[in-house]
Amino acid sequence: MAVSRQDVLRRVGEASVLILISLAGGPKHGYALIQDIKELADVELGPGTLYGALDRLERLGLIEPLPAEDRRHPYRITAPGAAALRVHLDAVERVSAAGRLRLQLGGI
Amino acid sequence: MAQMARLVRASLRCYPARWRQRHGDEAAELAALLISDGKPAGSIAWSYLAGAAREWLTPRPGRRVSVVAGALRKWLTPPPGRRVSVVAGALLAAACLLGVSAGLLASAGPARAASTGKPSGHSQCRPGSPEPDPGMLSAPGLLPAPGRAHANIQEAGHGQSC
Repeated sequence: MAVSRQDVLRRVGEASVLILISLAGGPKHGYALIQDIKELADVELGPGTLYGALDRLERLGLIEPLPAEDRRHPYRITAPGAAALRVHLDAVERVSAAGRLRLQLGGI
Repeated sequence: MAQMARLVRASLRCYPARWRQRHGDEAAELAALLISDGKPAGSIAWSYLAGAAREWLTPRPGRRVSVVAGALRKWLTPPPGRRVSVVAGALLAAACLLGVSAGLLASAGPARAASTGKPSGHSQCRPGSPEPDPGMLSAPGLLPAPGRAHANIQEAGHGQSC
């Protein structure tokens, strides 16, 4: 399968990227996602924001729901989702490196 | 406690039926878990209200904007003998405004900060836009990527109001 190098996560918002990063560590349901994201990024996602982002990521085929456990639906990252996350993190890293370099050269 | 649960349930009813069928039960359980963790029910209900507004305002295949506007009008029209709908209508209108602003803010968040598209107007906003060029990250006099065209990130930063 050809992996797209286009950064499809550029426009999806911070919540979606954080959800993908969290799911990269394994499948999780809504509550576990909120807890994990709070721990890893110190960002407290509201439940409305969470479900909006989950819906969007699912429509883009970047995550998929697993069979429900009780009333909870765990989600997992798909192969295109992992590829998109890699491309996005590479892009963020490049910008971050350029920013640090400029700060260093500017003596700020 | 029952009043808090009622508040959250009311906010969940603001979502489209498709969404409620898909996430309704799970969202109610998540709200219960968050409330038991000490999160204020009001902020959970507010988050769901804003989410519902965003959900209605997001264009979906087969759902026209007029349908969305009709649904909003229906919500905002107080049924006879129910004063609470006035408050709910005002809340919903505020949530709609908040949802739009939140959506705009979210789309301009750090994910966009990684934008390294070419400085060709709005072309980088289209789904089929070309791969970002790492050479764009170099400023004049700063490490142009080997074998890449020299460009200025300030130029690339313009015209990104997509």
